[in-house]
Amino acid sequence: MSTGPLHSDEMLELVAVYALGALPPDDARAVSEHIVLCDECRAEYRALRPVADVLGYAAEERVDDVRSARMKSGLMRRVQPGAPPRAATERRPPARRAPLWPAYLVAAAAIVIALINIMATVDLRAELASSRDRIAQLEAQNESGLRAEARDREMIADLVATDSKKFAVPGGEVISRDGRLYMTMDKLPVPPAGHVYQAWTLARGAKAVAPSVTFVPNKTGVAVVALPESANDVVAVAVSIEPTGGSQQPTTKPLFVRPLE
Amino acid sequence: MDDNLGLFARLRERDINAFEVLYDRYHRLVFGIAHRMLGEPAAAEDLVQSVFLKLWSTPDVFRAGNFGAWISRVTRNQALDILRSKAMRAIDEMPADIPSEGTVDEVVFARIDGARVRDALRALPDDQRIPIELGFFGGITHEQIAEQLNVPLGTIKTRIRSGLRRLREGMQAQVLR
Repeated sequence: MSTGPLHSDEMLELVAVYALGALPPDDARAVSEHIVLCDECRAEYRALRPVADVLGYAAEERVDDVRSARMKSGLMRRVQPGAPPRAATERRPPARRAPLWPAYLVAAAAIVIALINIMATVDLRAELASSRDRIAQLEAQNESGLRAEARDREMIADLVATDSKKFAVPGGEVISRDGRLYMTMDKLPVPPAGHVYQAWTLARGAKAVAPSVTFVPNKTGVAVVALPESANDVVAVAVSIEPTGGSQQPTTKPLFVRPLE
Repeated sequence: MDDNLGLFARLRERDINAFEVLYDRYHRLVFGIAHRMLGEPAAAEDLVQSVFLKLWSTPDVFRAGNFGAWISRVTRNQALDILRSKAMRAIDEMPADIPSEGTVDEVVFARIDGARVRDALRALPDDQRIPIELGFFGGITHEQIAEQLNVPLGTIKTRIRSGLRRLREGMQAQVLR
């Protein structure tokens, strides 16, 4: 892995802001890609990220018993839908009273109450349906975010792990770990207009390469790419420039072909 | 906590008791972060439900390491998403983990707790503490922090870095004392 250039304090300060989680998305992306390639910045990040991670502890607060019980019972009902509901509060039967209104007024009042109930029920059902949709939407977003975060965590851990296998290629490395396969490239020129970089993999026993992912480097020429193929099945990786959308067979001379064994 | 790994093994087997122990252990942390960031107890309660429901439905999302730090980050990210839905947020997700290398880190950050973090934060000068708290809990960028505090951007970056390094030293000193 490239040691990278020696840095000014400014670069290390950006890494600190990144560790805190206070960089705008574009800057955060650029710093995260840089960290993978630069030992000095990675060391700074390793030193400061755990500090940022535990900052949340400062907000830990005592939750009052009523709130705590309410949150817990709501949660446990949702994770254990089959659990018996809590005992209902005992209700005292209403005392019987002698009727004070004439029968026709009672009947009219009953009709009005029934109409109000129907309208309220319709409103509540609509509100409930809307809330359910919103909850489903938030849960889907949440799930997608957690998956992406888990993938990112896994990728960075793989890239910096000491037990990963690294294969040098011009301007970068192909890295494999536990069957997962990545490429990190630095100083890649911008591909010509209407073109992208495309990775190719050669499966064990295959006679021709198969198309893999397409990618473009960021504005500083860095590309960190996770290949979907299993490293256990791949014996070589290549990269070529192809028309946007990718090709089924390489149409230009590959930048490199790297055997992995 | 040392027995968290055992709890997670049980959680993956859908052991509701393990889930309940984790909830009892960490709900104050999750609620506290959510409350601090969202400012509304009701919204914080909803977030607590959401974080723990996700943990129950996909326990594999946490693999190893400091669970308290992990669930703090998940809570912060979800709170940021809520803030983002209210006003455009210019913050990316917090970066993914790079495993720490030194045993000192493992010892320090496994033993850290709310009181120690608060003490370490209190020991910082305001000009370092405030930008760090705004960045973490306020969910705003370093540029917005600079604007809000009317301080040059370069100064804010320097103060954040100096403050984080000082916090690190403070936490190490407290735990290893």
